[in-house]
Amino acid sequence: MRHLVTSVAPLPLQGGGIDRFIEPFAQFLTDFANMEPVLLQLLAFGLLLGGVYALTALGLTMIFGVMDVINFAHGVFLVVGMYTVWLVSTAIGISPFVGIPIAAAVLFVLGVGVHILTVEPIIEAPQQNQLIATLGVLLIIQSAIEIIFTPDPQQVDLSLGSLQVGGVFIPLGQFYALLIALGTMLGVRAFLNQTDLGRKIRGTADNRDGARYVGINVPQINYLTFGIGAALAGVAGGSIALFQRFDPFTGETYLINAFVIVILGGLGSFPGAFVGGLIVGMIQVFGGYYLPGTTSQILIFLLFILTLLVKPEGLFGGANA
Amino acid sequence: MSTLDSVREGYQTFDDQRFAPVVKGAALFGLLAALPYIIEIDIAGMELAATLSLKVLILTIIYAYTAQAWNIMSGYTGQFSFGHAAFFGIGAYATQLLLVDIGLNPWLGMLIGGVIAGLYGLVIGALSFRFNLKGHYFALATLAFAELLRFVVTNMSELNGANGYFKPFPRDYGAEYGLAAFQFQTDLPYYYVILGFLFVVTLVSWAIKNSWVGLYFFAIREDERAAASVGVPSFRYKLIGIAVSAFFTALGGAYWSMYFNTIRPDTVFALFKNVEILLPAVVGGPGTLIGPIVGSFIVTPVSEVARTTFSNINGLDRIIYGAFLVAIVIYSPQGVVSWPSRARALWNRVRSDEEVSE
Repeated sequence: MRHLVTSVAPLPLQGGGIDRFIEPFAQFLTDFANMEPVLLQLLAFGLLLGGVYALTALGLTMIFGVMDVINFAHGVFLVVGMYTVWLVSTAIGISPFVGIPIAAAVLFVLGVGVHILTVEPIIEAPQQNQLIATLGVLLIIQSAIEIIFTPDPQQVDLSLGSLQVGGVFIPLGQFYALLIALGTMLGVRAFLNQTDLGRKIRGTADNRDGARYVGINVPQINYLTFGIGAALAGVAGGSIALFQRFDPFTGETYLINAFVIVILGGLGSFPGAFVGGLIVGMIQVFGGYYLPGTTSQILIFLLFILTLLVKPEGLFGGANA
Repeated sequence: MSTLDSVREGYQTFDDQRFAPVVKGAALFGLLAALPYIIEIDIAGMELAATLSLKVLILTIIYAYTAQAWNIMSGYTGQFSFGHAAFFGIGAYATQLLLVDIGLNPWLGMLIGGVIAGLYGLVIGALSFRFNLKGHYFALATLAFAELLRFVVTNMSELNGANGYFKPFPRDYGAEYGLAAFQFQTDLPYYYVILGFLFVVTLVSWAIKNSWVGLYFFAIREDERAAASVGVPSFRYKLIGIAVSAFFTALGGAYWSMYFNTIRPDTVFALFKNVEILLPAVVGGPGTLIGPIVGSFIVTPVSEVARTTFSNINGLDRIIYGAFLVAIVIYSPQGVVSWPSRARALWNRVRSDEEVSE
């Protein structure tokens, strides 16, 4: 009956039973024992990707930590950031690097608007209601982008070239994205630790009722947090646009991996988001090299499930935003 | 006493009778059974069939069915699953795989798929509930279990990878079109088959709700610790909930694969399939018997009619659908089934205001 099966694309993982899963790991260990230079290159790619991944998870972890809301629109917020940078650099003709702070501003406004219209009215409703509301927001924004900019992939025209450091090849677009990610993470950390508003946000994350009793305007903190979370998505999306093609649907994979990172690192934890981002980035880069097809994503989900089961509070659980 | 009051009183007397649920159920399913004919009735030169085709009705009943199955676990026990696509996809794949590879009758393949999905549900439940996962964490864990399957199937050439399966013709496995082969040449029989599915799952759901199992389920939903303290074995009952729910969801996936001919990991295990399964129940009223059915009749036609009406602008239908989702959860977080009682409360308030002003 096999002939009935339609064949469209080449099949991944042809034959070979269980060997095909063991072989890549054996190959990796051999390379490791021989100190193959490719490992250093993969490590560099993993670091570059991991840093950006950490940034994609940062806004999500903040909203999650402060308001206990799963923001499904986070992935599409990233995409809005990408299109903002692209629009600024192609239509207006200024540097994409200037586009990134603009993307942050655009998304702050968008985030506050989305929050006031959709999340704040049901912040006390059952948890799943905010999830469905943000899903609705995802559909609206994603389709709006699709209608305005067509579903075709876009690209920021930025030929930055690359660096060669000790035989390791580093694409400059990714390198700058990593620097922006690191700078943003440090900046947000300083904001949360040093400023009055940051302390109020941390206090609300810690204990909503307590925050209300000591006179913190919790609804105000909510929309500021949502706005900042969205702005962080804007920076993350803008940085990704520096080195990758994107379309209206790019956000989905980033969203799922951002969930993994948030849970892996610990809800609301910044160092957790960083380490989680690195782990997911490394799995994706090394898995992409050694494993066939999209098998690396299976590893990421297994790790996710394992974390949820064994340590749902995450690696850095308990720590506040 | 006004006529309205006497009507209400009459209804109350009827509602108190033991046979009331049977009559209501019969009326509901009688109406659903007549729907394919009702939409073709010409009313003032307009017939519903112009916008609401039989295909849309079938899709509506499919999602009413899967939402009802989801409801048995998530609505009754309060454990919000965001990964029912896992069970849906298992049902779809098991049926097609057994049909294509060994020519097994789809009705048998479907039951096997249901059992496998039930077992997968038990694994998910045993792990999650043993480690006491709740709320968002449970929702994300179930989502991860579903996404895991999507990537596993996509990467397995034994399961045709990303290409999926195409349903064979009945003669390819020595059968004739008809109920026994689960294949028909027109849509109408397909409609009655899925309506039968919906009837069975609603009956099961009703039986659970009216038994001590349901009582335990609702006790767990309301306050798990209190329930445990009076001796409800919550771990065991949550497992029963997820297994039953997974079994029936898989049958929905099996039906999907027979009706739509092709299945691919990106359709039956899709991220959005998780949403489509649970949405009617949430919109209609989670934990209620009629909620998933009412919810599906609101959500699915809106989505389908928007898709066909605005087919010239790709994406406009999803904007409408998204706005609809947001509006529903904001203005009716308890579900549509709460509307009559809300309307009654409003009516009573208006009337008592009138009495005060007199």
